[in-house]
Amino acid sequence: MKTLGHMINSRFGSHLFDLLSSCRKNFHILSKQPKISVNIGQMDTVEEYQHGGPKQAYFNPYAFNGGTVLAVAGEDFSVVASDTRLSEGFSIFTRDNPKTYNLTSNTVLGCTGFHGDALTLTKVLEARLKMYEHEHHKPMSTKAIAAMLSTILYYKRFFPYYVNNILGGLDEEGKGCVYSFDPVGSYERESFRAGGTASSMLQPLLDNQIGFKNQIGVDQTPLTKEKAIFLVKDVFTSAAERDIYTGDQLIINVITKDGTRTEYFPLRRD
Amino acid sequence: MMETGFWHGGPKPGAFYSLPGNSSTYNDMPRKHTQQPITTGTSVLGVKFDGGIILAADMLGSYGSLARFRNISRLMKVNDQTVLGAGGDYADYQHIKDIIEQRMIDEECLDDGFTYTPKALHSWMTRVMYNRRSQFNPLWNVVVVGGIQDNEPFLGFVDKIGTAFKSDVICTGYGAYIAQPLLREAYEKNNAMSEQEAKALVDRCLKVLFYRDARSFNKYEIAIVTKDGARIEGPMSSDTNWDIATMVKGYE
Amino acid sequence: MSIMSYNGAAIMAMRGKDCVAIAADRRFGVQAQTVSMDFQKIFEIGPTLYVGLPGLATDVQTIAQKLKFRTNLYELRENRKMKPKTFLSVVSNLLYERRFGPYFVEPVVAGLDPNTSEPFIASLDLIGCPMITEDFVVSGTCSEQMYGMCESLWEPDMSPDDLFETISQALLNAVDRDAVSGWGAIVHIIEKDKVTTKTLKARMD
Repeated sequence: MKTLGHMINSRFGSHLFDLLSSCRKNFHILSKQPKISVNIGQMDTVEEYQHGGPKQAYFNPYAFNGGTVLAVAGEDFSVVASDTRLSEGFSIFTRDNPKTYNLTSNTVLGCTGFHGDALTLTKVLEARLKMYEHEHHKPMSTKAIAAMLSTILYYKRFFPYYVNNILGGLDEEGKGCVYSFDPVGSYERESFRAGGTASSMLQPLLDNQIGFKNQIGVDQTPLTKEKAIFLVKDVFTSAAERDIYTGDQLIINVITKDGTRTEYFPLRRD
Repeated sequence: MMETGFWHGGPKPGAFYSLPGNSSTYNDMPRKHTQQPITTGTSVLGVKFDGGIILAADMLGSYGSLARFRNISRLMKVNDQTVLGAGGDYADYQHIKDIIEQRMIDEECLDDGFTYTPKALHSWMTRVMYNRRSQFNPLWNVVVVGGIQDNEPFLGFVDKIGTAFKSDVICTGYGAYIAQPLLREAYEKNNAMSEQEAKALVDRCLKVLFYRDARSFNKYEIAIVTKDGARIEGPMSSDTNWDIATMVKGYE
Repeated sequence: MSIMSYNGAAIMAMRGKDCVAIAADRRFGVQAQTVSMDFQKIFEIGPTLYVGLPGLATDVQTIAQKLKFRTNLYELRENRKMKPKTFLSVVSNLLYERRFGPYFVEPVVAGLDPNTSEPFIASLDLIGCPMITEDFVVSGTCSEQMYGMCESLWEPDMSPDDLFETISQALLNAVDRDAVSGWGAIVHIIEKDKVTTKTLKARMD
């Protein structure tokens, strides 16, 4: 019984469950000791099909919409950039959907992954920032937003927001700062970080060009705004060559003490 | 030897009594929240034109591969500046439609001159869809919201898990593969087409879909929003041409 | 965990002006544990022809020997040097012979044509599908990182010195973002009548 049942199941998959269950009835008639020879794991599958009614359609509450974000901190500025492509599978939903969100006048969030969660998370953040501003009569600092974002993410630890967050802004001393997060809220402050589908292509180059990694005896001049923007354009152009989820357009937010300036740069659209 | 029956029906040595209402097997199956679409609608198309938007959807309600309902509307007029179209489960669409219609009545009763704008309805739809997916009980639809707000045409998309965006051209279902390239090409060539041009374009796209999407139907409605208001037109049909069909191997 | 990343490796090849370069990391590990840091992954096939074999270490050594055997046989029978393009076919054939039970290696070929000295670089997948490119090829556990580096650093017609610097930076910075490759690197710069081999120090974490 076990052998034949197993054979039927493995050869036809689980689609012919009615065939399988009719076979099972026959086994009960033929077998002398049906109860003993039942393979529990196998029968559980059959049982479920018998009593489960119509086949359950698979519902996946997550989707993956791709995209890449990047944040770089300088001495007195931060740059937060992302591409503007929104995709699912091999389809492009739209070529004009930036994944950067201006939270305050000096804080920008880059958010990729499942776009539904990204929308919800940014809505929650906006609400919390408004509440803070009404209570304290001042906008939230980048550092405080980072700490709050961490708790918001951890609050959904067992049904996470499926997003990669990178926060760019200015700290209390006016210095550029970048915070990067995992989907469940672990975070740290860094000076540059790439996130999203092409992060593994961008990050090593940033290590090399901004962190001066593997370069000895080179003049480690502090990063200028112009060089940061140039590098951002360069790495995104490279990423768009190889990553199908990155392309169409690049949005670059430059944060200084005077506020946030936004510029666009075309990327390949195929 | 006399049968005492003292331990009759009792648990095996080392096992526990199984008392009624306290069965350990009572709740061992997880509650099934997920569902599946039953009667379904296929693609919804939407495109902006000069001074407005147009939505289109055919009138077929499929029951698996059975073309079960051949005259159902998948487009609704929400108010004078907003329309909505849906694909996916038809019962879920009717549920959404009922809620929106009731809300429009409530809004009307307030008589404060305010009403749902396309952007507001789109945003609200994202929350409804996202909340239902978070309860693992989704509304199995793809919704397209269109309209005019502040003299600007608006087109927005929401799916059953709350993925949402706005775009100049929107297609759902098979339309995303078959009609979207045609619409995008036409829109990139001329992003200020007239209402008539937009109607002709949408008609062509629905025709191509009818040729290639097995769950589509040559009877459709369109929704148009301009500054003069919103209206649903139809049912109407495309003029199809089957001259080349005989050249298809296996057709006859 | 994929068997392709059981031992860890990173190999790339680049084309310059009248020269090619091939570089590899030197780690041999078993999953997360590093076992040695002088493992050979690039093999000399001819005076100006090299092959890099990232993948399952046991297959790396087997394939290296089988390839050497087949090229030796070819050169004895034909009494001439094998062209890189011909060698690519040899590799492709060898791998496709095991189409339904493959060797777990994704080779990189780099060399100069023995007659014309034309630079040649190519890579194959584990069942022998070849790809010839005009700029660079990468293969191994950190291919995404290597693509990112190469796509930004590579430029046409580099001199041997520039090519060395470029491939070294591309490889080192790529392996530093991969947990199972690195621990030193080796670079071969192949010119018409000279092959320069340099070993590089790298991060040891």
